[in-house]
This record gives sequence, C-alpha cells and structure tokens, in this order.
Amino acid sequence: MSNEKTLKTWWKSGSPWVWLNAAAVTLSMIAVIGLLALIAVRGLAHFWAPDVYEFRYEEADGEIVTLYGSIRDTEQVTAARLRQAGMQLDDVESEFVDRHLIKMGNRDQLGSDFRFIVEPRIIERSTPTDIVMVERTEWGDQTGFLREVLENSEVIARGAEAWPEFEQRIARVVELREKINELESDEIGAINYTLEQLRLEERHLELEGELTDARLAELESRRAELDERYQLLLQDLNALYEKINRDSYVMEVQGGIDVELPLARVVRAYQPNAMGFFGKLGFWFEKLWEFVSEEPREANTEGGVFPAIFGTVVMVMLMSVFVTPFGVIAAVYLKEYARQGAVTRIIRIAVNNLAGVPSIVYGVFGLGFFVYFLGGNIDQLFYPEASPSPVFGTPGLLWSSLTLALLTLPVVIVATEEGLSRIPRSLREGSYALGATKAETLWRTVLPMASPAMMTGLILAVARAAGEVAPLMLVGVVKLAPSLPIDGNAPFVHLDRKFMHLGFHIYDVGFQSPNVEAARPLVYATALLLVAIIIILNLAAVRIRNRLREKYRALEN
Amino acid sequence: MIEQARTHGIDVSALKRGGERRSLASEEACMQVQDMSLYYGEKRALNGISMTIPRQCVTAFIGPSGCGKSTLLRCFNRMNDLIDNVRTEGRILLDGEDIYARGVDVPILRQRVGMVFQKPNPFPKSIFENVAYGLRLKGMNNRRELEEKVEWALNAAALWDEVKDRLHDSAFGLSGGQQQRLVIARAIAIEPEVLLLDEPASALDPISTLKIEELIYELKSDYTIVIVTHNMQQAARVSDYTAFMYMGDLIEYGDTDTLFTKPRKKQTEDYITGRYG
Amino acid sequence: MDKLNIDHHISQRFNEELEEIRNHVMTMGGMVEQQIASAIEALVEGDSELGQRVVRDDHKVNNLEVRIDEECNRILARRQPAASDLRLIVAIMKTITDLERIGDEAEKIGFLATRLAEAERPGNAYSELEHLGNHVRNMLRTALDAFARMNPDAAVEVAREDSKVDREYEAIIRQCITFMMEDPRTIRRVLDMIWCARALERIGDHAKNICEYVIYLVHGKDVRHIDIEDVEREIRDA
Repeated sequence: MSNEKTLKTWWKSGSPWVWLNAAAVTLSMIAVIGLLALIAVRGLAHFWAPDVYEFRYEEADGEIVTLYGSIRDTEQVTAARLRQAGMQLDDVESEFVDRHLIKMGNRDQLGSDFRFIVEPRIIERSTPTDIVMVERTEWGDQTGFLREVLENSEVIARGAEAWPEFEQRIARVVELREKINELESDEIGAINYTLEQLRLEERHLELEGELTDARLAELESRRAELDERYQLLLQDLNALYEKINRDSYVMEVQGGIDVELPLARVVRAYQPNAMGFFGKLGFWFEKLWEFVSEEPREANTEGGVFPAIFGTVVMVMLMSVFVTPFGVIAAVYLKEYARQGAVTRIIRIAVNNLAGVPSIVYGVFGLGFFVYFLGGNIDQLFYPEASPSPVFGTPGLLWSSLTLALLTLPVVIVATEEGLSRIPRSLREGSYALGATKAETLWRTVLPMASPAMMTGLILAVARAAGEVAPLMLVGVVKLAPSLPIDGNAPFVHLDRKFMHLGFHIYDVGFQSPNVEAARPLVYATALLLVAIIIILNLAAVRIRNRLREKYRALEN
Repeated sequence: MIEQARTHGIDVSALKRGGERRSLASEEACMQVQDMSLYYGEKRALNGISMTIPRQCVTAFIGPSGCGKSTLLRCFNRMNDLIDNVRTEGRILLDGEDIYARGVDVPILRQRVGMVFQKPNPFPKSIFENVAYGLRLKGMNNRRELEEKVEWALNAAALWDEVKDRLHDSAFGLSGGQQQRLVIARAIAIEPEVLLLDEPASALDPISTLKIEELIYELKSDYTIVIVTHNMQQAARVSDYTAFMYMGDLIEYGDTDTLFTKPRKKQTEDYITGRYG
Repeated sequence: MDKLNIDHHISQRFNEELEEIRNHVMTMGGMVEQQIASAIEALVEGDSELGQRVVRDDHKVNNLEVRIDEECNRILARRQPAASDLRLIVAIMKTITDLERIGDEAEKIGFLATRLAEAERPGNAYSELEHLGNHVRNMLRTALDAFARMNPDAAVEVAREDSKVDREYEAIIRQCITFMMEDPRTIRRVLDMIWCARALERIGDHAKNICEYVIYLVHGKDVRHIDIEDVEREIRDA
C-alpha cells in the first residue's frame, strides 16, 4: 500500500520525465562525442610515426624471412581458421592467435604495402635505430637501411656517414622541387593560360569575321613573345631538372636487395626508431600541416587535401552569396507584400516540401537545367570560340553553388519568414507613425532586426551544403582538379572550373583508391577535417548572428 | 479708482463664479471628426462619431476597454490602414482638409500627426539614431543639422540631461520611462502638429508616469495633444477636455473640470465613479 | 429615493465606507438637534441643570466632527472620488462644519439658559424664543432630512424658511429693545435673551447652508450667496 503510494507520488512528481529527458540528452551526447572521438583518434593517429620492426618470420612453407614493417592493426583470429588455410601452428595451444597487419612499404619491390603475419610464427623482433623510412613521389614508402649516397653516380658517403649526407641532400632536393613546381604551375601555367586566351581570341575574331591581317599579325607577335618567354623558362626548368637529378641513393630493402633510386624521388626520409617522443610529435605536426596545406599525390592517397578544402570553402561561400539574397527577397515578398491567402499558403507548403526532396534529385536537376540548358546556351551565346570544348556547358563551380543554393533555399526562406514574423508589431507601427513608407520601414527597421534569423537560416544552409556530396558529383566535383578555382590569372575567380571537395574526396579515397588499405586512415582524417570545417564555418556564422542578435535584441518583455 | 482700491488691485473678473471654466466652443479647431464610422470586417467599432479636437490643448479619451477610443485615435493618423479588413466612413479634417480624401499622402500625414504607443518601442539603434530616424526619413542628412535637431527634441522631451553623455549607446539601455520619453522625443523631432498618445504611461511606474504627464503639460503650448488613457485620474490631471466613449459611441465630451465633477450623462457618471450601470 | 446610487459602486467596500460616513453625519445631525431641543427646554423651563448638560455635551459633537473629517480625508486620499462621490464628500465636509457651529450655538444657549434660570422669569416664559427655537429646529430637521434623502426640493423649502426666521428674529429684537427702554433693570436679562435669539438665528443660517450643500450635492450647482429665486431657477434648469 505504502509502496504503491510512493511509486505513485514518484510518478506524479515528474521525476521520471526528468530522468527520461536526461537519458535522451546523455545518449545524444554520447553519440556525438563518440563519433567525433572515433574519427579524431583514427584520423589523427595516421600522422604518427610508429616504430618499425625488423621481424624474423617463419613463412607458411617453413622458409625464414626478414621483414621490415610497422604494426598498423592487430586482430584475433581462431587458430583453426589459420590451420585450415594451411598454416603450421603446432606449438600453439590457445584457441585464438594474434594476427598483425604490418605496413612494409616497398610496393615497387614487393607488389603490396601491407601483409598479415601471425604472432606465434614471429621468431624474433627488434627495432634497429638505423632503419629508414623514405616517402617517395611515387610507389609509396620505402623501408630499409641506407647504404650509399651517390652524386653523379659516384659514391659520396657510405654506411653511417650516409644518413647526414642523405638528409642534407633531401633538403636541397625539396627546395629544387619547389622551384620546379613554381616554374611549372605558376609561370609556365600562366603562359599556357594566356596562349589559350589568345587562341580563343583568334577564334572569336575568326567567327566574327574580323580577323584582319593586322590583327593576326598582332596576335602572332604576342604569341611569339610568349613563346620566347616560354623557351627561357624551359631552359631554367631543364637546368633545375638536371640539378635535381644529380644525386641518387642506395637502400638495402627487404630480402637484402640493394635498390638504387634517384634522390629526386624522395619527399621525406626519417628514422622512426631513432626519434624520441618529441621528435615524433614534431613529425606529427609536420605531417598534419602537410595534410592540410599540400596537394594530393599518388591518386589522392598521399600528400595533402588542400585543393579539396579550398574547393569546399569556396563552393560553400559562393552558395551563401547566392542563396542569402535570393531566399531573403523571396521571404520578404511572401511575408510582407504578398496577399496572405490560399496562394501564399500553397507556395509555403511547396517551399517546405522542397526541403524534403532528396539531394541527388537536385543534382539531376542541376545537370539537366544548369549545366546542359543554361550552360549550353551560355556557351553558344558568349563562348562560340571555345567550341567544341565547353566552358559553362560542363559541370563546374558555378553550377555546383547554384544547385546547392537551390537545395538550401527553403531553409533560408523559412528561417527568414520566421524572423520577420517575430518582429514586434509595435516597432513597425513606430516606424510608420514617423511617416515611413512600407519600403523604408522594411529597410531601416524590419530587415536589420530580422538579420539574426537570416543568419540562422544561412547557418543551417551552410551546415547542409558543406556536407552534401551526391548532387555535386553530377554538377562539378572531380577527383583531381588540375587548378584551383581562384588563382592569379585574370579574372582570378574561375566559376567554370571543376573543383575538389572534401566529401567527395572521402568517397574517392575510401572506395575508389587503388590502395584502400593504405588510404583508410586518410578517410578518417579527411572526415575529421570536413567536420572541423563545417564547425568553423558554423561558428563564424553563429558569432555573427550572436552579435547581430545582441545589437537588435528586440523588446522581448 | 475706488473699485481698484477696494479689491486691492486684484482683477476680480478672474475670480468670478465659473470664470475659469473653458468651453470647446471658444477653442480653435485643430481636427474635426465628422460622422466617423469604422468597421472591422462586419463589426462596427465606431458609430458615427463627431467631435472637434481643439488646437494646443490636451484632449483625453477615456472609456472601458474595447470602447473604441484607441481605434478612434488611430483614425487620426490613419494607422488603421495597416490592418486588413478595416473600412471607414465619414471624414476627419486636419486644418480643414479631409485626411481620408483620395490622394492624401499618408506618410506626410503621419509626419504631421505623430503617435506614441502604449509600450515604449524604441528601435534597436542608438539613442541618437532613434531620434534622428524620422528626420532622416524626411531627407535630413547633414550631421550638424541632425545633431541640433536631436538635442532640441531630447530637450523638449526632458531627456537631454539624462542621455547627453551616451547618445550613441543602445536605446535599450534606458529605463522604461526614459524609453517612453525617447519615443516622444522621436515623435516631436519631426515637429508634428498633433501628437497622439495611446496610453503612454500604462507600462510605467508612477514617478515615470508623472514625468510623462509633466511633459505633456509642457508640450501642450506647442502641440495639439490627444491622449488615450485607462487611468481616469491621469485624464483628469493632464487634459483640458475629456471625451468619454462607450461601445463605439461618444457619450460625453466636454471640459475636464465639468466632466469630473458634474458629468451630464449617467453612463459617464457611472464610469468615472466606478459604478455598475 | 436615492438619486445618486451611492450603493452602486463596483467596490462594495467603497459603498460601505460612504454609507458609514453618511450615517455618522446623520448621527451628528441628530445629536445637534437634541442639543438644540435641550437648550430650548432649559431656557423655557428655567432648568439650569439641563442647561449645564447641554454645555457639557458639546464636546461629543466636536469629537464626531473630527472623526467624520478624518473619514472624509481618508476617502479623498484613498479613493480619489469623482463626480457625485466627490460632491458628496465635499458636501459632508462642509455640512459637519455647519453642524459643529450649530452645536456651538446650542452650547451658547445652554449657558445663557443657566444664567437666565437664576434671573427673574418673564410672564410669557420666553415663549417667543421657544417659538423661534422650534422653528429653526424644524429647519434643521428638514435640512438633515433633505440631506439624507438627497432631496433638493425640500432643501429649497428650508432655504425659503430662513427669511421667516430672520423676520421673527427682527421682531424679538424690537421687543427686547422695548423691554429695555421700559425697565432698565431688565437690561442684563434682556441682553441674554438677545444673545439667545441671535444664536437661534445663526442656527437657521447654518441650516440654510446645509440645504445649499444638498443642492450642490445633487445638482452640482453652487447656489451660495444668490437669491432664492435664482436658486429655484438653477434647479429647474438642471
């Protein structure tokens, strides 16, 4: 009786609800934190330099080999399964055995970066401090012992002296490579761009029938001038190539084979076992910086993701520029000017439902309408000289931004309308009473006060757009863009260019890469970066909104 | 000479019985309401009201909630135009011209007939910008001119001394009473002829209320003031003429002294003495 | 017949306060009336004991005046009465002043009655004073009645009576002058008689004032210091 009563009073007191609410909040928190923690740990661990072991390992056929590699993953498998696979595990009694995934590198020699080894068959493992990891411009990492450094095929240093010499020469190579890059992509790229513009100009004049001899001569002279500059640059470039190809080195890799490679291939070399904790930490930061600031190498599986970050941010900003005025104007018309009735109600319902359309449908629409119809017509009208290669008639940054603007338009409209309806009537009346017209009231009072709501709409729009991948695959995103959408060549912003995007990058690296195993940590790191960028964009918008809110804090009481 | 000696030089005529009573008939008309009716959709809110608002006097509208006093007040600057489904009949003359006539520029009318609302409604701008709002609307952009005008208006609203050091702070930092005086300053900055006050002190504490009332008394020498109030004592304190409205009808309209001591109509009597009719 | 609907306020408490204050005024009126009656009786009967009691009891009237004054002040401060309520309070405050004065006059008569009781009594036993006294007492009663019922017509009647009282008073004075001329030994006594007559005449004036307040209360017209005909015209207009 009394128990029943206490239960009843407990129920009536409302504390079960409080507990329920607390539980829901806790679960959400755990989900969010868990998600972030997972991608953070997995992604950030990628940049850590693990110890590299020298294993003496008994292969299934009883042959004893020496393997160099770092342990990337460890799992438990049943001994029975391994036995079935034909592995000799006579001295193993336990039911489970550890199986390691080791990264060996030397893909050029071994055919694969990774392999599995089982714990019981490791005869011996050691961490020799002089083991060297070399990151190369192609074929992935190289693991082994540095034997010789050569200059013009003559041995400069050997054995223990080789390493400092090696490091020094890598620094020189890196410097030279930067210079080459600069020459190739900036200066020669600019010349190529200008030459292409000249070609288009000539074609344009030809189409217009205005290609007089004088004009032609002028174009030719400009072209000749460019050619001359190009030749000069080419000479510089060749000289640099000669310099960079001067040195080479010899590594003893797995199997005791000596491999000689040109030093020009080396990106970075380090001795992981010789590094202390702080050395590894410094290395970690170096790798992280490389990740966010460099361009990708080797089919996106190595190097950085800077073009993807850049593309994502530019696309989102461009989308904001499109969607905000458009959405705000639409909302103002709907709320302030349109006669409230069945028609506006239908429009509102339509707008709300637009938000529920799957994003790929927008992609299809963008491809059909923007790219083929609008872009095709623009090309015909304004860029006939480029034909048959399209300018706007192909997926690109502009169409991607517009497609996403369309996708996020309902959010902005709804948020703005909400903000407009929350402005106290008394403020509008105050403005009217001072002799303001409707437009003046809107511009001077209502819109500034609704700006926090517009920002809210934009925040939601940005959050949605930055994470959207599917429609972009149809209207402008590519796996590898040759150049950034904003660069030093006039008109600086190239809305017609294709671009890279972090979301697509994740998909591409994770599922389309030739080396999925090696790329998996990169997927986590990229995902973390994408989340971080969305958070940064959002925080910036939230800050702006809060400042506006503080400024236009309405008379709430 | 002898007469003067006997009365010690005091002008006796002023002390005559009923000598201080004023009457509507002797006042100059500022606004004239002629058979004004107003409908919210089908519902009639004002039943053919006719009255004269005297120039440079304070006229108070009193009456129970929903009697149409605010509605009538909002007719004076066509604020009711902003509400859907409102239809009016009759005329309101401002200086002899019908404000409901075709072709009347409503924003200009509202500059001539200013309005202050029940709740202080400063804009989310600085104190200075609040007062300058109407001036800017009128096209005044010269900084010097604006500053002069704003100072003048704030002085007229008895607020200058309190805010002169923080003109560029947000208006929301002011107290309720200061906000209401700011709103009055904002309204008089554009120098209207008529100032409509819709329960200007109902959201304020008694001291702020008294300040507003004092302000009304001072503004009356330059403006024609019409005030709607729920507070009968306030109407009695500030107004020269009082109109009592009930259910959309103008029941009684006359000088405040008479209305509060000897109303002619029983409905008025019952209302101001707190009786049930 | 309660023309002013004093008990129709939305605030029941206010109704009660007004009712109470009116009752107190009527009590005070009754007390004053009793004082007048006692004073006249003391005079006519030569009852010095009664005369002394009238003198003694005057402070009760004074106390009541102070009390009612306080109540009026309280209502003014707390209720801020308007229109008829305001007029009622103003009328009451003035009425009690007049009632208190009437009380003072009665006290004066009581004192004079005590003195006259020791003197030689005239053959008619002050019948002319008795007549005048009854006359003003009636006026006062009618005035209080008019006040209680808020009846301006009755009030006009009382105001009209006042001129009769004045004539009666004139007659008594003339008579007294005759007495004094006939027999100088009676001068002292006759002077007291004149004081009595004067007091009674003043009571009549005060009663008339009360009637004027009733007219103000009901019609909102101030009819002081104007001819009775004008008063009647004003009332008709109202």
